[in-house]
Amino acid sequence: MAELVLTSLSKIYRSRGKEPVHAVKDLTLTVKTGEIVALLGSSGCGKTSTLRMIAGFEDVSSGAISLGGRVIHELAPSARNVAMAFEAYSLYPPLTIGDNMAFALKSTKMLHAEVMAKVKAMADMLDIAGILEKYPSSVSGGQQQRASLGRALVRKADLYLLDEPMGQLEPQLRALLRGRIKHYLRENNCTSILVTHDQTEANALADRIAVMEAGELLQYASPAELKNKPANLFTGAFIGEPPMNVFTAEIFASEKSISFKIEGGNELAFKVSDFSESLLQMLASRRTISLGVRPHSLRVGKGPIKGIVSSCQWLGDQTHVAVDVGGRTIVSVSHARVDEKTGAAIALDVAASDLHIFDPATGAALAHGGQPA
Amino acid sequence: MSQLELKSLSKAFGSFDVLKNLDLAAAAGEIVVVFGGSGTGKTILLRLIAGVEEPTSGSIMLEGRDVADIPPEHRNVGMAFQNFALFPHMSAKDNIAAPLVARRFSADNVKRGVDRVAKLLKIDHVLGHAPRELSNGQKQRTSLARALAAEPKILLLDDPLRNVDAKLRFEMRLELPRLLRQTGATVLYVTQDYKEAMALADRIAVLQGGKFVQLAPPVEIYERPQNLQVARLFGDPVINTIDTTVKTNGKGPTLAIAGTSFSIAPSFAGYSGRRVTAGIRPEAIAIKPSKDGTGAEVQAVTPFNERIVVLLKDRDGWEFLVSLPSSETPPKPGVTVTASIAPDSIHLFDPETGERLHG
Repeated sequence: MAELVLTSLSKIYRSRGKEPVHAVKDLTLTVKTGEIVALLGSSGCGKTSTLRMIAGFEDVSSGAISLGGRVIHELAPSARNVAMAFEAYSLYPPLTIGDNMAFALKSTKMLHAEVMAKVKAMADMLDIAGILEKYPSSVSGGQQQRASLGRALVRKADLYLLDEPMGQLEPQLRALLRGRIKHYLRENNCTSILVTHDQTEANALADRIAVMEAGELLQYASPAELKNKPANLFTGAFIGEPPMNVFTAEIFASEKSISFKIEGGNELAFKVSDFSESLLQMLASRRTISLGVRPHSLRVGKGPIKGIVSSCQWLGDQTHVAVDVGGRTIVSVSHARVDEKTGAAIALDVAASDLHIFDPATGAALAHGGQPA
Repeated sequence: MSQLELKSLSKAFGSFDVLKNLDLAAAAGEIVVVFGGSGTGKTILLRLIAGVEEPTSGSIMLEGRDVADIPPEHRNVGMAFQNFALFPHMSAKDNIAAPLVARRFSADNVKRGVDRVAKLLKIDHVLGHAPRELSNGQKQRTSLARALAAEPKILLLDDPLRNVDAKLRFEMRLELPRLLRQTGATVLYVTQDYKEAMALADRIAVLQGGKFVQLAPPVEIYERPQNLQVARLFGDPVINTIDTTVKTNGKGPTLAIAGTSFSIAPSFAGYSGRRVTAGIRPEAIAIKPSKDGTGAEVQAVTPFNERIVVLLKDRDGWEFLVSLPSSETPPKPGVTVTASIAPDSIHLFDPETGERLHG
């Protein structure tokens, strides 16, 4: 197990007659020993290029990669002691699932019985013990994905790279396997990088998440910090399910109160004492802001935000209420079962401590919960 | 009168019975979601109603009339498909107009019909575009608009949100109920996504093994699933299950779960001594730190949207999941906790057949 350090890492793809593509731009980050980190972003954000540079499948255009103090970016992939699970599984078709999983262990000098025991334990964890004798082509996509994950995790490595490891998993198994895999990575102190476009997956598994967009690192923080203190509007809207509601708000300040006028003529008024002095000063120089409110922070009942219920959907463990406010839809989520009639008038409230304030031009965060960002 | 009625409807291909004796009566304006895994015959059912496939036996009544001898184009049925199935050589406008043109509407009425649904679905700005110039979301809306254009009394929607991205699927899920209500049509909506089913349906028809194993409002499906399979298909994380035996103490029937004896609803007293499969939803379990070290150990804590999912393992190696609101403080991995479960949140199923045991 070892610490991974990426220093000013860049990747530029050049092809004749085309503009160069700057896939990864000056990326610097550290993954501590035993830490689980997710590279999160939509397609084309540079997460997979980063992973492939660490694994050694792509050259580094500039910058450096070191693992456990060793500079590895000029080593052959096999010399890096990095295990990888591929999004496309990449299982060996002529080998059984069991032999696929045992492959890397067989090239070590481990005794056959020990290899088999390790493979069996891993297969038990991933719920594929029943298909070890089968060939990849005869099992489902979800099972192949678990086998590919098992093949990577069963061997000892300094670093585990997992590319969209759970994308094809059967929905009924997902929550259980997330728990088991996280437990396994922790128990074995595995330094791991998970690449995903799915913020749910990243939040569930990672200690820290690196949010990437257009080759750049936007924010690198724990899931809780990303949720409570997003550095910008992009991250704020990207993390969280359902996504954050964002209003365009005009600021009106008086001696005792500060209010935000949002869509539909609704005015959210707060006591001045809900905001820090420095934040009030900053807001005094602005006329408009982008105001972010997470669906779980919008409380149904009384409140200054007036709208019409456009749908109320109970999903078993939560209720999603969609409300038309001045011609646009905002969403409130409650853990309880709420029964609001479609077409009925509804009022919503939000506490000052749940407000996220962003610069409407740059998207940079200005404040979270009454304190400057 | 039911707007759509199925009476003992069956369909077989050779010796393979796909649909067996389906009965359903849906009222005007009702949204019935047909829910099931792939290959359960959901699409076949829609094709039978649309008239492009013939039933092996049984009948289909639309607006009180048996439609056995009525060809598809005269059934007053609108249909939208998961792959959109737009005519590639026609503009969005012409696609939407197709059912109106087929019925020889006047040019004025075609235009009026197209404009009406295009406005409803907010695609009036892309009517001149060819399908290849439309985003997936716009294709899906165009396909819905075409289904709605002729103001059908019956609307058949075959997994219409399957091929759009998660964000759009969520937005459409919020928007669809109102949109569908406005049409006044009886809707049969096919999906494999339980959240979509619960969000949209007045009633859900769960299709398993060619039969409707449960036909009920979403609340009942979730809170009183007819069998273990239905219980497992609705809910994320999936319902926890454990095989155990009903016992009785001085106060009433109990179950031993994770080393603890839990009271269950008194009406289960008659099951004493019987082997059962108990099902407990992750959000129905509360946990607190164990005082005496008995209980289950926290394996992992995985935040899940605005909830926290905790994987626990008891001394017998039974793993179960607990889902807490994110406002609660999550336990640390490695600590031991005791669980509590409200008696009426424990579902009992027959371990052999998987059928719900009614207390």
